[in-house]
Amino acid sequence: MSTDTRERAGSLDRDKLFAARLHAARVRPYLATALFALHTVESKRVPTMAVDRHWRCYVSPAFVDRMPVEELAGVWVHEVSHLLRDHHGRGDRVARERGLTGVGDRLRMNIAADCEINDDVYGDGLVQPRDAVLPYRLRLDAGRLMEEYLKDISLGPLTLDLSWLDCGSGADGLEREWDLGPDGADGLSEQERDAVRFRVAQGINAHPGRAPKGWRRWAEEAFHPPQPWRDLLGAAMRSAVSGAGAGDDYSYGRPSRRSAGVPGAVLPSLRRRPPRVCVIIDTSGSVSDDELGSALLEVAAIARAVGGRRDLVQVLSCDAAAGVARSLCRAEGIPLVGGGGTDLRTGFDRALRSRPRPDVVVALTDGQTPWPAARPSCRTVIGLFPREGVSEARRENNPEYVPKSPPAWARVVEIGAPGRGQGG
Amino acid sequence: MPSHTPAPASQLDVAANLLALLRDSTTEPRPDDQLEALTLAVAADLPVLLWGEPGIGKTAALTQLAAALDLPLTTVIASVHEPSDFSGLPVVGDDPATQGVPMAPPDWAVRLVRAGRGLLFLDELSTAPPAVQAALLRLVLERRIGALRLPPGVRIVAAANPRSSAADGWELSPPLANRFVHLQWTHDHEVVVRGLGGTWPRATLPPLDPHKLPEAVDFARRAVCGLLAARPTLVHRLPTGETRRGGPWPSPRSWDMTLSLIAFATAAGSSRDVLSSLVRGTVGDGPGLELLASLDRLDLPDPEEVLADPAGAVLPERGDLRQAVLDGVVAAVRARPDRTRWDAAWAVLVRALETGAPDLVVVPATTLASLRQEDWDLPAAIDRFAGTVALSRRADRAALAAEARR
Repeated sequence: MSTDTRERAGSLDRDKLFAARLHAARVRPYLATALFALHTVESKRVPTMAVDRHWRCYVSPAFVDRMPVEELAGVWVHEVSHLLRDHHGRGDRVARERGLTGVGDRLRMNIAADCEINDDVYGDGLVQPRDAVLPYRLRLDAGRLMEEYLKDISLGPLTLDLSWLDCGSGADGLEREWDLGPDGADGLSEQERDAVRFRVAQGINAHPGRAPKGWRRWAEEAFHPPQPWRDLLGAAMRSAVSGAGAGDDYSYGRPSRRSAGVPGAVLPSLRRRPPRVCVIIDTSGSVSDDELGSALLEVAAIARAVGGRRDLVQVLSCDAAAGVARSLCRAEGIPLVGGGGTDLRTGFDRALRSRPRPDVVVALTDGQTPWPAARPSCRTVIGLFPREGVSEARRENNPEYVPKSPPAWARVVEIGAPGRGQGG
Repeated sequence: MPSHTPAPASQLDVAANLLALLRDSTTEPRPDDQLEALTLAVAADLPVLLWGEPGIGKTAALTQLAAALDLPLTTVIASVHEPSDFSGLPVVGDDPATQGVPMAPPDWAVRLVRAGRGLLFLDELSTAPPAVQAALLRLVLERRIGALRLPPGVRIVAAANPRSSAADGWELSPPLANRFVHLQWTHDHEVVVRGLGGTWPRATLPPLDPHKLPEAVDFARRAVCGLLAARPTLVHRLPTGETRRGGPWPSPRSWDMTLSLIAFATAAGSSRDVLSSLVRGTVGDGPGLELLASLDRLDLPDPEEVLADPAGAVLPERGDLRQAVLDGVVAAVRARPDRTRWDAAWAVLVRALETGAPDLVVVPATTLASLRQEDWDLPAAIDRFAGTVALSRRADRAALAAEARR
């Protein structure tokens, strides 16, 4: 090994690098596992610091030399965030979905991923490194996801000075020439990567107060990416209307079409009884018309898809008192009368008293209502518009008002959260 | 003299030759985690449910698997059957009041029972009407078709489309979901390209090592019992929330299945990735990952052994695991402090300092120093920690600098 002075000047200052990691782990204890799991590889070909998908961290000695320790700590957290948030996997998925193949596209992904990280990881003891890419520099709003940023980022004057940006294949999925690859030493296997991500998520979920909102959201969704509410609502409704007792079933009322071929056997035949669906709509002031409109359209479309006829779908608007049930075919534009407080119990009462009785009741509401004390006598799906906290104004106006979470006997689907497709 | 001039081949014969050429494909052994997981679960005689988009080769994989296990394959497309095909056709005899009405099984079931062994593939579960599914699930759970009982040599695999792509959105109720090993089936780009080129991967049952069997059972029991003893709430946890419906969840039944799968994977020497998909497919992601994490800890050296022989201790390369070992060593000293153990722990920390990143040693060294009792002399090696103290101070200064720059 040569030890002349020039070589030594270019060698990695490990103490500085690891002092920075120690500081990062102290100010972000929930990321410590992930930070320590990274395997550092000294590399003079990397412009700054870069990660690969096997959790190796390539470090340029010159970069470490010119960065102050406190900024280097920010870079550590930044790089490990790429891996925790699975930016390479998500980058590959986006590339496949949108047909992005060029090197420029991968640079855009790197920029978008950097925006997702940088808009909320710094501060609180962690210094934002110089040159960090922030959404406002690209004239974009903060608080979005890599996939969303990517749509609005194009390579041009705004990104001209970002072409040096390179967080490695761990950030955008594109192999670099310095990558040691899947067969190289000290990489983490897929299972090990999941285990590290799981431990970090567990740590955040155990003490959610310590982590900023972006990390809390990540931890909640890391292993259970949210599904688009339309799919969930559809599945809940289909399962409700096709379960035994609703919709079609076998009957001995008429012989099966196969009876002629099997003399002596008694066969049931398939008969269809289209399901009756009653939709209760919370028309209290707290639910916006836009939300209601999209949810109602969805329910009608699903009811049609499962074979319900339009005249079998009833719509009932309800605030403190229940309105009149109308069938969907009579009213294209359903009058949504109401406003003020909500008591869905009257809606449920009226829906269940209507003749013929519905097979399924779907309630669209923001949940700021008392619920029936007992399970209704038919299947129930609740489409819930999520609300951040309870409106203080309403609580003041109505001291008896006690919002309760939806009861356990209903299937609850949260509506309005955009389908985010990927976790990470 | 009769001359045998060959008759001109008909167009259909030529077409048949072309088809034969097209179907002429070979197989190659190729490490394939999802195929290995499927093979192990089938070998362990647990009902498997493959979740995958239509057209990605679930059926092809089953054909391969049947060939590899040398089991005759019976495919039943659930959606084209009636419930009575699975629960049996009631046939009215001469005197039903005294003889009863037998439930006649369909022909494929009779053949399967006569053969005594086979692979039953229930395809397209998700597009069958609910009554058919109900009948099918009885077949899966009780292994009964009408009056027949499937012999133990018959293994069952089912396939379903994920809820998002299934037109009628069938989903499993929690009790049913709990009885399956859920495997996500995805296509591997390379495998498809190579397969269409004429070479498909071959499923080989990873050979179970007969000498390892008792050891494998012991390991599996230790792994599952160790975790559940420490985390009693993981034993039974019904899924809540819409997104987790129809998937795997932990219960004594599924933990029992997990135990079998760990034993099989251990005896077969399968990788952790294979084990991961099996375990997570049986008890769900959260409990599965916790089990895998505790397996990782089982692999870590025991703190007492490390203390007994600090010079010979092998510390893990990976920083987070290494820190877990060092923390464990310090915690062991704290639990039973005496002079020799304290010295041994310092020796371990020196080794860690010599062989890996210095920042990992800072916290254990600080904790260990705080355990010193008055009559204990500082170990000679304490000088070696000057570097970590400097490192720690440097991090402190960085914290101050960060504070100043706000």
